[in-house]
Amino acid sequence: MATYLEFIQQNEERDGVRFSWNVWPSSRLEATRMVVPLACLLTPLRERPDLPPVQYEPVLCSRPTCKAILNPLCQVDYRAKLWACNFCFQRNQFPPAYTGISEVNQPAELMPQFSTIEYVIQRGPQSPLIFLYVVDTCLEEDDLQALKESLQMSLSLLPPDALVGLITFGRMVQVHELSCEGISKSFVFRGTKDLTAKQIQDMLGLTTPAMPMQQARPQEHPFVSSRFLQPIQKIDMNLTDLLGELQRDPWPVTQGKRPLRSTGVALSIAVGLLEGTFPNTGARIMLFTGGPPTQGPGMVVGDELKVPIRSWHDIEKDNARFMKKATKHYEMLANRAATNGHCIDIYACALDQTGLLEMKCCANLTGGHMVMGDSFNTSLFKQTFQRIFSKDFNGNFRMAFGATLEVKTSRELKIAGAVGPCVSLNVKGPCVSENELGVGGTSQWKICGLDPTSTLGIYFEVVNQHNAPIPQGGRGAIQFVTQYQHSSTQRRIRVTTVARNWADAQSHLRHIEAAFDQEAAAVLMARLGVFRAESEEGPDVLRWLDRQLIRLCQKFGQYNKEDPTSFRLSDSFSLYPQFMFHLRRSPFLQVFNNSPDESSYYRHHFARQDLTQSLIMIQPILYSYSFHGPPEPVLLDSSSILADRILLMDTFFQIVIYLGETIAQWRKAGYQDMPEYENFKHLLQAPLDDAQEILQARFPMPRYINTEHGGSQARFLLSKVNPSQTHNNLYTWGQILL
Amino acid sequence: MAELYVKPGNKDRGWNDPPQFSYGLQTQAGGPKRTSLTKRVAAPQDGSPRVPISETSPGAPPVGPPPLSSKASRPPPVGSSPACSVEPTNFPVIECETLLEDVLKPLEEALDDCRGHTKQVCDDISRRLALLQEQWAGGKLSTPVKKRMALLVQELSSHRWDAADDIHRSLMVDHVTEVSQWMVGVKRLIAEKRSLSSEETSEEKSTATAEEHQTVPGIHRLHNPVGSPDSPQTIS
Repeated sequence: MATYLEFIQQNEERDGVRFSWNVWPSSRLEATRMVVPLACLLTPLRERPDLPPVQYEPVLCSRPTCKAILNPLCQVDYRAKLWACNFCFQRNQFPPAYTGISEVNQPAELMPQFSTIEYVIQRGPQSPLIFLYVVDTCLEEDDLQALKESLQMSLSLLPPDALVGLITFGRMVQVHELSCEGISKSFVFRGTKDLTAKQIQDMLGLTTPAMPMQQARPQEHPFVSSRFLQPIQKIDMNLTDLLGELQRDPWPVTQGKRPLRSTGVALSIAVGLLEGTFPNTGARIMLFTGGPPTQGPGMVVGDELKVPIRSWHDIEKDNARFMKKATKHYEMLANRAATNGHCIDIYACALDQTGLLEMKCCANLTGGHMVMGDSFNTSLFKQTFQRIFSKDFNGNFRMAFGATLEVKTSRELKIAGAVGPCVSLNVKGPCVSENELGVGGTSQWKICGLDPTSTLGIYFEVVNQHNAPIPQGGRGAIQFVTQYQHSSTQRRIRVTTVARNWADAQSHLRHIEAAFDQEAAAVLMARLGVFRAESEEGPDVLRWLDRQLIRLCQKFGQYNKEDPTSFRLSDSFSLYPQFMFHLRRSPFLQVFNNSPDESSYYRHHFARQDLTQSLIMIQPILYSYSFHGPPEPVLLDSSSILADRILLMDTFFQIVIYLGETIAQWRKAGYQDMPEYENFKHLLQAPLDDAQEILQARFPMPRYINTEHGGSQARFLLSKVNPSQTHNNLYTWGQILL
Repeated sequence: MAELYVKPGNKDRGWNDPPQFSYGLQTQAGGPKRTSLTKRVAAPQDGSPRVPISETSPGAPPVGPPPLSSKASRPPPVGSSPACSVEPTNFPVIECETLLEDVLKPLEEALDDCRGHTKQVCDDISRRLALLQEQWAGGKLSTPVKKRMALLVQELSSHRWDAADDIHRSLMVDHVTEVSQWMVGVKRLIAEKRSLSSEETSEEKSTATAEEHQTVPGIHRLHNPVGSPDSPQTIS
């Protein structure tokens, strides 16, 4: 590897892993002095078009407390057909099927280029995917129509053997029985009373096992379905009609009141229904809501419009009446769903808040999606929803279900915790540290819904004592084992095994410094900050972040005391302070100017995206287009805003195109329509094309802002750039500059 | 072949609503990414804010026209421009009118082939075909819909089930308001015809699925039937 940048990139492409440090400090004391913890971002199901899954089961270490999987770091004695586990050093016999192996005839899992490998598990029944739609009917006519059409469209995008169900709610909650006969029946529940899982199952008649369905194709395993969840291929026509006939909630809403919306009970019934019929199989509960829950358990605001929904101000003043109780209700549901391997999506489209703050645990703990829009009748919702069903190069859905992630480490490391869309499985063991960072106290987590970009931040602790010798072999190792249900319904196991060199921090600090991955470090620290912000006061989190930055600069900066202009950081740290600056101004740590729902939405996406997208969220990308050369990245600073430039800013949630003053004047004058100024036309088009490429691929779909100098929407750009030039230092007050 | 177009978003409901891409554009398999805009610039270490190079003070008279289009000053495009842009484009008018009979007749023939199946399903499908006929004759369907339905019917008649299915999906995604009431009937018809033909030629179908799992050059794949002992993957 010529540089660490190449090394880092190659490893990320192969294994989906980025470490904050790529050379590890060998003692606990030195590791804490590094300030940034030893941690990694792991994308368990990173798309690997070049990695065919192998069709056999992995070979495990025979020590019951270890059970690590055979990997390229293991020592192998080909003559004696033995292998030594690199984690616990146990010698294991190869299974009989491996008698033919040799140095020139290696199985794939021992080859270094297969440090990441995927196994397909053959045994066990393959259960179909399940989609349960929970639909709010207290919507305006246009919105309801648009939502109905999106749901009908989705029936065409789902695989024919997937099971689908429908619950609608407003003041009451209706569970629709799906049948092929003409009459549609449903079970109606009051929206005010919560029910236990058992009560729901009794009332829906689920306590007696349903009759096994007659399958059209006899070679499939007979699978128990229920009256409420039926295969698409059987039910699509009737369900299309049923959806088409959905009406607005019939209960009249008087002036000055909000509609009575029983989201809490609807979700409770959905979770209970799936618990009773399909526990431990991959399923998605998709909640579509157009306003806040206003009745029953989980209500977030009352029905009087004159009492607004809680703001951050209300929460700080302890003036949010329903928040604690509602949050508790949804947390209970989220934990039950996660235990059963079901994920909960929330699609909230309304102009006012819908209670995402209270409901966020449903998406965050289960790995479900959270989509926030203004209306179901917008392109943002429609296309984001379509992208959930996008397919990969093999024609399979990108979504995966019911994953468990297990982490094993060599004995010099312990696991402090994880930050991401997961719940703890509370598996204690020798690898588990007592110092928790994120969701700790375990070496295994469950992620009920995930896709190829889902990323977890995993934090480690170095436990070697100071002055203890560097471990034999000089390298530490970590293995990540992800078992999951692939969208083709196969069960698969993906195994990633990585190693890095240890180094003595006192004699080899330069090596450790050179191997610092500032991008990964920034995202990992940011995730810790956002995790803290959920339970601590905002200013405390900012103080913590600032302190860490100062300590890092003290450790790794070169400077002469008393001379601020002498401060220098090496190349591998050059972007880090910028990242921290923008992070502390970001909507993840600054709640000012955002509602509680918006903050929850931004934090939700931040805690699960891969490194590149997370960095875009922390420090938006800014590219400048001009006649002076090809588009170039520029500093996210007000000095980059120039009259003869077009700027493209990507904040992940918005794409902003901003025309400088002169460019705007030229466009207004119509130069782009004159043939002799064709290059101006190309200049105007270039950022539009680049924006389109981003818009076409990203999930969730970003908002699109096309503005110019002096435009009101230029504020999106102006609020993000570092204001190095303001009316204070450049012009006298009263003159319009930006 | 699905259409490739971009429409503006719903500006009434969301002033910053992003543009809407057609199904064809969204399912394009990425292709080579032209430039990933992910680079950043480090701040100058000496801390001084950069002075902008070209500065127009506020209130100054408007500057002259942009540089003339010559070889020198043309900014190199970032890769090749795509077929369509973010701003809306117009469609060339179709030369010949798609006839209702051309579409409806093959569909009804297909339905007759499937009469062997449950009566309920066939009645449902025929009800929806009637709806399609009614809407078409009443002029409620747009030209792109009619054009694509003609294509769908061609694919169906040529037994190209996946292509027909794809067209049905593209119509559901792009024109859901117009087609949602009856399209599910067409979808079911494709599925029924597909299963009917697979019953007739079941052997051909099983060979085709085995070939789906393509081998990577240089690596043999040993498919183990359920229950047999594992064997390692070997490199030849």
